[in-house]
Amino acid sequence: MYQTDSSWGSYLPPRNVGDPLERIEWLASENAVVIFSISTCCMCHAVKRLFCGMGVNPTVHELDEDPRGKEMEKALMRLLGSSSAVPVVFIGGKLVGAMDRVMASHINGTLVPLLKEAGALWL
Amino acid sequence: MASHGVGETGLSDSGPSNHHLPYAAIHGINTPSTSFFNQEGSSFDFGELEEAVLQGVKIRSDEAKAPLFRPAATLEMFPPWPIRFQQTPRVGSSKSGGESSDSGSAVNTLSSKAEAQLDPESPISKKASSSDHQSFDQKHLQLQQHQQQIEMASDTSRTGGPSELNTSPAKPPQEKRKGSTSEKQLDAKTLRRLAQNREAARKSRLRKKAYVQQLESSRIKLTQLEQDLQRARQQGLFLGGCGGAGGNMSSGAAIFDMEYARWLEDDHRHMSELRTGLQAHLSDGDLRVIVDRYISHYDEIFRLKGVAAKSDVFHLITGMWSTPAERCFLWMGGFRPSELIKMLTSQLDPLTQQQLMGIYSLQHSSQQAEEALSQGLEQLQQSLIDTIATGPVIDGMQQMAVALGKLANLEGFVRQADNLRQQTLHQLRRILTVRQAARCFLVIGEYYGRLRALSSLWASLPRESLMGEENTCQATTDLQMVQPPQNHFSNI
Repeated sequence: MYQTDSSWGSYLPPRNVGDPLERIEWLASENAVVIFSISTCCMCHAVKRLFCGMGVNPTVHELDEDPRGKEMEKALMRLLGSSSAVPVVFIGGKLVGAMDRVMASHINGTLVPLLKEAGALWL
Repeated sequence: MASHGVGETGLSDSGPSNHHLPYAAIHGINTPSTSFFNQEGSSFDFGELEEAVLQGVKIRSDEAKAPLFRPAATLEMFPPWPIRFQQTPRVGSSKSGGESSDSGSAVNTLSSKAEAQLDPESPISKKASSSDHQSFDQKHLQLQQHQQQIEMASDTSRTGGPSELNTSPAKPPQEKRKGSTSEKQLDAKTLRRLAQNREAARKSRLRKKAYVQQLESSRIKLTQLEQDLQRARQQGLFLGGCGGAGGNMSSGAAIFDMEYARWLEDDHRHMSELRTGLQAHLSDGDLRVIVDRYISHYDEIFRLKGVAAKSDVFHLITGMWSTPAERCFLWMGGFRPSELIKMLTSQLDPLTQQQLMGIYSLQHSSQQAEEALSQGLEQLQQSLIDTIATGPVIDGMQQMAVALGKLANLEGFVRQADNLRQQTLHQLRRILTVRQAARCFLVIGEYYGRLRALSSLWASLPRESLMGEENTCQATTDLQMVQPPQNHFSNI
């Protein structure tokens, strides 16, 4: 019973989740690599290029093109504890972080295994 | 001093200034005309004539230093100048702050005035000294003309006698300590004002003197600084930075340059530690301490650069803090990590297979990261160009505001680039053994040391024949400097 109720709920994701953070988490879990970005942000462009250069095809959510983008931006700022909300990267539904964390994980060799684990990279 | 004649402006207000010209100027006739000219007196006529009065006073005071309040200078009752000057005693007493009583003698109070003048402020002596270096011909002539006029005037009015003096326009007794007659107050006011002028002139002269002295010392200091800077530039101490920016360097940039210079000194120290540690074949534990210290040393410069990026990102991104040779290979405000690893791979032998793979994957990932950041920066540049180049000029300020906002993103890129460098060094430390890491950092340090030495050499090489021997000696010394590190390196 509980299983069927919850399974039904998991197939029809709530479209109008009140809490922006929940929406973020939900969006992040939808794909292997999810990037929250702003279309005019150059650092976001850099992180997109990084993944594309590695052969990864990330899902990008441009917050300035989302009607609820503003509040999601604020939620991200709170989540990261930084003044800039974007870019933020989720891999396999888990938060990796902003640009510095992504680069650090790439340099120390943890990014590629993470991508492979999430199914974003096949090599 | 300055209070002399403060309230006593009545005389000039009441009538033409000529009124007391006859009296005061007659003194001037007897005095040397060159020594009391000044160009700074508040009123030309009075300035000189005041001085004439003073000079007369001085001469008289030199001869007969009668003290204040003593009426007994009867000998002086008939001075060589016309009796007209009975007023001047009052002038003198008013000048000295009105301390004197109604002394009959012109000389007494004049001399007292002179004393009063000489002691506190000695304007006469100052006058004499300061006026020595001024040309007075024109004024001399003018004064002489005045004197002639006055003589004529006084001759005609002499017949009037003291009575005229005594019945000069009655002034309200503004001089508090003054006597009863209006004529005394008249002179008191005049003389007070004259004293004021004199005071102003004196102060103005002093200011000018002080200013000139200040200018002179500043000029000397400036030439010394320029020489020092030239010397330092030749030796490449602050390298391209100071020379290029000069006075236009921001404070953040200047601060960072100073901190970087200190960091370089520390770097030298750490390098010697590493070198001696390796040569002494220290235990791994001891060597690890030294290596970790070196890593923290690098962490420190990245932290400093982060602070500097907030205040002056252009200083960092243009590499004005580093040497010309380093600047040649500059990437986003510092070294390019993948290039550094490429340089290191040949020097780090022998490496295990795993280590080799680690190094190559590090090189690969840093290349990818560099590429991503470069593309991000390119997009920033493009967006900036779009903002500035296009659009109507009408909205210029708006455009500039938007462009400024975009420029602010530069700081983020420099920070990410430094972050990349820092992570690369840390990863190197992880991949290598302690001994290998020590050798690796020594190689890095020496590599950049040589780049810096190359910059100094290049800077000190004579470009024009003007430089001459001094620089060839410098170049030789620099070459010698470069030699030892190489020897050290080959021993390892």
